[in-house]
Amino acid sequence: MSGKMRILTSLGVIAIVAVALGLWIVRGPGPLDFAGGTKVTLADYRAGKPSGVPAKLEKASLVERGEYIAKAADCMVCHTKPGEKEYSGGLGFKLPFGTLYSTNITPDKDTGIGNYSDQDFLNAVQHGKRRDGARLYPAMPYTSYTFMTDEDVLAVKAYLFSLPPVRAKAPENTLSFPFNQRWAMMVWSAVFNPDTRFAPDTSKSPEWNRGAYLVEALAHCGECHTPRNLGFALDNRRKFAGAITAGWRAFNISSDKATGLGNWSDKDLISYLSLGHAPGHGSASGPMGEAVDHSFSQFAPEDIRSIVAYLRSVPPQPSPDLPATTAPVAPASHKDGITADARGKMLFAGACASCHGWSGESPVSPMATLTGTWAVNDPAATNVAQIVLSGTKRHTPDGALSMPAFGNAYTDDEIAAVANYVTARFGAKGSKLTAKDVAELREQTAE
Amino acid sequence: MHMATVLTINGETKSFDAPPEMPLLWVLRDILGMTGTKFGCGIAQCGACTVHVDGKAVRSCVLPVSAVENRAITTIEHVGSTPAGAKVQKAWLDLEVIQCGYCQSGQIMSAAALLAATPNPDDSDIDAAMAGNICRCGTYVRIREAVKQAANGRQS
Repeated sequence: MSGKMRILTSLGVIAIVAVALGLWIVRGPGPLDFAGGTKVTLADYRAGKPSGVPAKLEKASLVERGEYIAKAADCMVCHTKPGEKEYSGGLGFKLPFGTLYSTNITPDKDTGIGNYSDQDFLNAVQHGKRRDGARLYPAMPYTSYTFMTDEDVLAVKAYLFSLPPVRAKAPENTLSFPFNQRWAMMVWSAVFNPDTRFAPDTSKSPEWNRGAYLVEALAHCGECHTPRNLGFALDNRRKFAGAITAGWRAFNISSDKATGLGNWSDKDLISYLSLGHAPGHGSASGPMGEAVDHSFSQFAPEDIRSIVAYLRSVPPQPSPDLPATTAPVAPASHKDGITADARGKMLFAGACASCHGWSGESPVSPMATLTGTWAVNDPAATNVAQIVLSGTKRHTPDGALSMPAFGNAYTDDEIAAVANYVTARFGAKGSKLTAKDVAELREQTAE
Repeated sequence: MHMATVLTINGETKSFDAPPEMPLLWVLRDILGMTGTKFGCGIAQCGACTVHVDGKAVRSCVLPVSAVENRAITTIEHVGSTPAGAKVQKAWLDLEVIQCGYCQSGQIMSAAALLAATPNPDDSDIDAAMAGNICRCGTYVRIREAVKQAANGRQS
């Protein structure tokens, strides 16, 4: 290494340390600090049992308990590439600085986690440390899983080890410098991983504490719904205020009455989480659709109620870019109401109207009703464009309803036009998407 | 093991076994043998499979049977017994709209739903209602004429 290089490297290290110190100051509160009550260790908490499985599984085998917890933590969706074996990894995460691939967590000894001891597994899930000592990138939400009890983490391990081993090596990450320096994650982790187990709050009900454990330790809702700070960690000063993740908008789930969940009834919240649909609030699609299909729909009813109780307590955060109220039903005739975009209208008439109707209330199914959803009331039209691009499918106990993907059938121009028409007609404020915006949205979700 | 599904089709009660997510079109054609409704694209983009549910034109190829229980379904086999459907079919014959015919049961269903809701449609109403029905023979000019004739009974 030349002298010049050495100086440059030293300067780089100093800069990184300075940034780390800055982030230490700006990292802000932890995810549960808003509650403010007295915290005790789980062992000292007698009022209830926030961790573990619901009562009906208390007597179940370790593997069955692990399966419930693995589903509650939604491990499978990220650790499975569509079309490949479950948990065999290889799903790409497109980031602004390259692509990260999830790993194989089946018990294959060569390409999976077959050689992991209990301690190795705890290190990975709670501390973000791989068996070979390398640091994990926080796409793996270990800053949430760190709140899990050892018992629950090891139950997940027992479940994963009960699955058939799959030989599958994930592609190499394609991160650019300096993000390809895994060692730097040591600094990141020291700043942003609370590295502590869940501590119940004695001022709150057992139901709230169970909900807090489910939301923060397992379901890791904040990973999509909480905005990130400069260090790409969760900014809990704006907890659950909503954010864009993987090209989709995760809406505000704080208790804000206008733009959060403050005006949702318990029944609506329970329905949305367990079925992916609540009348007048639309249907879960994209990443939230996956979370419902693979995780929330598998929760015991009392666990869903605990989540609702906990979400209600999260302080309101406004979403200033959203309208204070969603738009009412549009006129029944195509002639009335907003006719801003002639091209968008033509596309809507040909491709959309037969299922969604001209009023936004679907003649087909309440699941296809547009009226009242945040997607059409978001002036950025992010999720409208995404659903048009990639389609959506909802399963409920009564069947399934799907919307085809139009991404290959229509140009970026056409998708922008129809999204602008839809948000203008059915939402409070029309969007101004351009073909370039749609191309960027495609890029963010492309595998 | 499925519970028997019960649908009301053309005023009659039909009972059959089908998974709840099976598209109505498959039930009509494959289970009930009502082949007047056509399969075109399978993704609600061509209109060949159009039927009426509670009087509104919908695409049966993406409509799971579970979504239409307890609702009134009308198909091409029966639309001639509704006032709007009878007028549309007569105009279609008078003007010889059809070329190959494959899309036409869907066209007729969309036109009948349009006239039932909008008895005197103008061009923009016809565009809005018929845009989702594609005709590869290009009979659009005759379709528009026939819709207008069915609406006011005039010969054009």
